[in-house]
Amino acid sequence: MIMDNLGDKVLKKIKEECICPKPRWQFLLKDYFIWFLFLISLFLGSLAFCVALYVLSTNDWDLYRYLHTTLVGHILISIPYIWILFLALFISIAYYNFKYTKSGYRRETYFVVGLSVVGSLFLGAFLYTLGAGEKIEDFVAASVPVYEKIACCGARKDIWDQPAMGLLGGEIVNTSNGENFDLKDFNGMLWQVQETDDTLEYAPLDIKIGEQVKIIGEEKPDYVFWAREIRPWKNKGEARKARDRQERE
Amino acid sequence: MLDKDNCEEKTDEELVALTIGNQDFFSCLVDRYSDKLTRYIMRISASTREDAEDLLQEIFVKAYRNINSFDQSLKFSSWIYRIAHNQVISQWRKTKSRPQVIKFEADEDFLKFIANDEDLALDTERKFEGEEVRHLLDELDEKYREVLVLKFIEGKDYKEISDILQKPLGTVATLINRAKKQLKKTIKEKGLEFRK
Repeated sequence: MIMDNLGDKVLKKIKEECICPKPRWQFLLKDYFIWFLFLISLFLGSLAFCVALYVLSTNDWDLYRYLHTTLVGHILISIPYIWILFLALFISIAYYNFKYTKSGYRRETYFVVGLSVVGSLFLGAFLYTLGAGEKIEDFVAASVPVYEKIACCGARKDIWDQPAMGLLGGEIVNTSNGENFDLKDFNGMLWQVQETDDTLEYAPLDIKIGEQVKIIGEEKPDYVFWAREIRPWKNKGEARKARDRQERE
Repeated sequence: MLDKDNCEEKTDEELVALTIGNQDFFSCLVDRYSDKLTRYIMRISASTREDAEDLLQEIFVKAYRNINSFDQSLKFSSWIYRIAHNQVISQWRKTKSRPQVIKFEADEDFLKFIANDEDLALDTERKFEGEEVRHLLDELDEKYREVLVLKFIEGKDYKEISDILQKPLGTVATLINRAKKQLKKTIKEKGLEFRK
C-alpha cells in the first residue's frame, strides 16, 4: 500500500477544516437548470423555425418572372437567412446544454443534434399551424426597427416598389372611386389603382382602407396603375376574379 | 473512531451511503482507492509520487464535498476516476504545462497488454524492454495514452471509460482503435525488433 494513512489524513483535514458535503438540492437544482436551458433553447429554435416557415409560405415564388431573374436567384434572395441563423444558434445552444446534463455525454453528437433539430422542427411546424409565425414576425418587425432592413420584409418592400417593372405595394387609402382605389406606396406616393374585369384577386383580400396589398400590373402616366393581380400583403390564398367580388358586394 | 474492519465486506456504494451519515466511513473509500488512483495519476501526468499524493488528497476532499452528487447509476470507481481525471486536467491548466515525458511505473503491465492484445500481436514477435515501452508511450498523444491506460492497465471496460472521460461509447471505441494504430505506427517507425 502506497499510503497507509491517507484515509486518516483526509478525514483529519475534513474535520479540521469543517468540510461538509454540499447539499443534494444544489446538484438537483443545477441539473434541472441545465434541462430548463435545453428546453428553452429548443423552444426558441422552434419559434425561429416557425417564422422561417411563415416567411417561406407567404413568399411570392412566382415573382421571378417580373424581376428579370432566375427561379434559383429568386429562391436565394427569398430565404429567411436571419431566422435560419437563429434556428442554428438555438440548436447549438440546446446541443451544448444537453451535453452538460448528467448523462448527456453518453449520447453521440449526431443523436443530440438530431434530437434538437427534429424537436425544433416539429414544435416549430406545430406553432406555425397555430399562426405563431405571423404574430412573431409582426411583433419583431414592430419592436426591432432594423429587422425590416435585414430580414425578408425590407427586401419584400423593395421588390414591391418597382412600378416600372409592374410591381407596386402599399396601403389602400381610399375606396370611394367605384372599381378603382387609391394606394399610398412605401415612399408615400399616391397611386390610383384601376381594376378591370379580368383582374385577379387572391384571397383573403379585403379592399378596404388601411389594408396593405401587392399589385402586379402596368404603370400608366399620372400615377395610374392598371392592376392585373392584387394580393394581400401577407398571406396569399386562391385567385378569383375581381368582378366576382364586386358582384357579391 | 471507526473500526476499518467494518468496511471490508461493504460495497463502494454502501460506503457512500454510510459516509453521508457518518464521515468516518469515507476513510474506508480513501484507503480502498488511494493506491490505484496514485498510480493512475502518475500514469497520465508527469507528477512525482509526492505531487500525485498531494493531488490525491485534493481529489478525495473534492469527492467528499460532492458526495451527494454521486450518481447511483455509475460505479463509484468510475465516479472517483472521473474526479481524478478532471483534477489532473485542472492541474495542467493551472500550471499551463502538460507532461512531455511520462514516467511509467507499470511497464510490466503495459508489456502484458502489448503481448496479449490480438490486434497488436498479429504480425510481430516481440519482447519489450521497459525503457522502450516508456519511449513508445511518450510518442502517443495524451488522449490516446490515457485511454490505453484506462483500458489495458486499469482494466476498465468501455462503459466505465465512457463514464470516466465523459465521452460516448462510440468515441471511446474510436479512441482505443486510433491509439492502437498510433502505437503500431510508432513501433514500425522505430524499427523495433521484438521477440516472443
